[in-house]
Amino acid sequence: MSLMGSSVAELFSAIDKLRAELLNNVEVLTDCQRVEGEISHGEILSLIENVILGIVTSLSKDEAPFLALPDRSNWANISFDSAIGLRMTLGSSVTTIRSDCPSSVTKFAQILKIFVVIYKLVQSNSYATKRFFVVNSHFEKITKLATSKGLISGDLCYMEEDGTRIDCRSCSAAAAVSSNIAGIRNIVSHAKFIMIVEKDATFQRLLDDDFCTKLSPCIMITGKGVPDVNSRLMVRKLWDTLHIPILALVDADPHGIEIMCIYKYGSVSMSFEAHSLTVPSVMWLGLLPSDLQRLRVPEDVLIPLTKRDESKLSSLLKRPYLASQPEWQKEMELMQQSKVKAEIQSLAAIAPDFLTNIYLPNKLRYGGWV
Amino acid sequence: MLREIQQVLRFVQLLGKRRQQSGLNVKGGLLVLVWTETGPSVQSLNCAVAAAGPWCIGINMKALQPDLKECMFPCACPCLPPDPEELCAFTDLYGSLRLLLTFQMKDASPEWCARIETFLHTYSLANAKIKIHFKFKFSQQTFQRDFSVKIKNKAGGNQRPPECVKKGCWCQGGHPVLGDRLPLSIPPAAMDQGLFGELSIQAVTLLSPCVLQYPNLPTQLTHIQVLVYGPSNVPVTGPSTFFQNLPAHLDCQEVGLHGLHCSSFKDLVHSGGTVYTVEQENCEDPEQESSPAPIRQSLLLYIFLQHSDPFTYQLSDMMATEVLIERHLEDILNNNKQAVTKAVQTELKNTLKAQNQRKKNQQKMRSAAEVILGSSLSIVSSSSNMDFRNACLHSMKMSDTYDLSASLRESLRRVTSWKFTPKNICYSAQVEEYPESDEPTRTEI
Repeated sequence: MSLMGSSVAELFSAIDKLRAELLNNVEVLTDCQRVEGEISHGEILSLIENVILGIVTSLSKDEAPFLALPDRSNWANISFDSAIGLRMTLGSSVTTIRSDCPSSVTKFAQILKIFVVIYKLVQSNSYATKRFFVVNSHFEKITKLATSKGLISGDLCYMEEDGTRIDCRSCSAAAAVSSNIAGIRNIVSHAKFIMIVEKDATFQRLLDDDFCTKLSPCIMITGKGVPDVNSRLMVRKLWDTLHIPILALVDADPHGIEIMCIYKYGSVSMSFEAHSLTVPSVMWLGLLPSDLQRLRVPEDVLIPLTKRDESKLSSLLKRPYLASQPEWQKEMELMQQSKVKAEIQSLAAIAPDFLTNIYLPNKLRYGGWV
Repeated sequence: MLREIQQVLRFVQLLGKRRQQSGLNVKGGLLVLVWTETGPSVQSLNCAVAAAGPWCIGINMKALQPDLKECMFPCACPCLPPDPEELCAFTDLYGSLRLLLTFQMKDASPEWCARIETFLHTYSLANAKIKIHFKFKFSQQTFQRDFSVKIKNKAGGNQRPPECVKKGCWCQGGHPVLGDRLPLSIPPAAMDQGLFGELSIQAVTLLSPCVLQYPNLPTQLTHIQVLVYGPSNVPVTGPSTFFQNLPAHLDCQEVGLHGLHCSSFKDLVHSGGTVYTVEQENCEDPEQESSPAPIRQSLLLYIFLQHSDPFTYQLSDMMATEVLIERHLEDILNNNKQAVTKAVQTELKNTLKAQNQRKKNQQKMRSAAEVILGSSLSIVSSSSNMDFRNACLHSMKMSDTYDLSASLRESLRRVTSWKFTPKNICYSAQVEEYPESDEPTRTEI
């Protein structure tokens, strides 16, 4: 099939229809609502001062200070909201970090040190990356963290807070996802859809195949596996600004499905920030387990599910958000029954350019998402 | 005189063993009464050793005399029995006497009183529930000391809790830890004298005082005392050259110590066994010096000699074997030098592992405390919120951030150092607000 021979209208008719549906069904946060959720500088300073006062008060009573944090790793603290995704519920279990216990005192000190940095940043109305926190907090171990690991390419221009202009329209190279998503302004895009790509390898392959030109106008973004906060914020930002369909291209395996769920519904650890990180309208474009059968992907590129895969798949099927996604459930049950998984690269076994020239265009044209 | 007392104790303990009675589990009392008698030309020391209570049930003194005396006290001279009134208080406590042996020593060695005291104290450290009463009467003056283990298995102590333990509990004493058993080979010279069978040593360690309930308290090991006991659980007398020289063969670094030095002979006489002084590391950090003073601990290393020989079953043979073991002890230890040294090294290492981890934890706590204090004070100092600043100062009853800094530092150090975590294995006596003063007649481990 020649992409050049199809009209743009035909190519994107299904996408446009999806967009219209989304705009009708999905709650769109207005700027006012977004501002409502934000916290003022004064409130941040107050919160930190309250923590310090708590510590001083404990010491004045000859009691060892401790910090009580909501347990971000406990599913008992999580509830599902179809409009937001996974969100943290207050009043559930907490983790206590004590100052008089060798196993937790370092963490206690680290948290306070971070508070100092935040306090000073807020006072001076500036921002810093996580790397700044680590390098400046004089901890024994300095971990090397990338500021932001995601990449983005396609019909998109914007300006960062410091005035830097970012143009993602380069065909050969992608732009790094910004470190300061909140500071992005003047977003300009005519993209019809955004495609989230699970793996960097697939993203690079699509770049090399000039996907963004062939399916222009569109935006492509990858978090290189499990997305960091900035990548998720970027996807959310694009949704809030452009209100265009967001389609996920992940491997047909439990890990890929989980990554897609993170973009769509959020993670347990970041559930307290769900309202700014999740995009419940994300659709699963591929690689679907049903695609493997439909396309007759050669068996020698199919991989049997491991025990770990089966366990993860079972766990995913029990997640609270799956109840509202019967199509996803069907696909996952199909994977459970077939007991096989496949990477996106397995489509190359059909034809070298199958992914870019056949699979994705057909999927987009005929609405092959769930 | 010490030998005689030692023999009596061996006699009673071995009798109890033969009757399948473990000395550790059976109560009783032992009275050692010494009094002076001024004769026509010389002053002599008379000694009476009496035993009563369940631990010596079955002893028939009439049947055992006079062979027993000859066997046990070949060098002793007979003497008059003690004043019955002296024995009354003892029998009132423990019932009728099961054993009463008296003898006279004409040429007592110097410091005999201290040696007996030390011996009895050492004996009591390994023999629970035998209460020992030592009484010496001289020219109308009476000196008396009582020895006993206060709490079975938990080794109650008389260590006064530190002053900072105002509330909460203090574990009196320590917790014996059973170490490994080491078989020993009997040297030819001892075999020639008739020592056969299987010989081994069983190590037990006891760190005192116990600070398990105060996991953040700094501790400092100051002394290690090695006590050696014969197969009847009676202490071996006399200093041991082997143990005196042992520190030179120990790898102190592996154990986690800077060094060990054997104490002077004089100290050995008074303390029993072999005592090592632990070399302390020089503290260059003034911050560390100002920390709560470390709790000084001492380590007791019990070495129990165990012997079995199916051909030795007569009481007199068993007692003779014990005497042989003691006589050839240096030879035995030297014959097994490498193994014994390694065994002692292992016991010390195992005991001090927890101590060394405690030190590491304390360093971690100290580093973190600096960050906690620095961060808190940084926010207080840089805050423009007067209500917050005043609340912090008022809370600690300070007038400025400089005083606040010192006050917070001291408070944090206090609350973290004296963190109390109750332990089931600890004997947690409530600390009295006004502790009683020491009574000179009562000594307990």
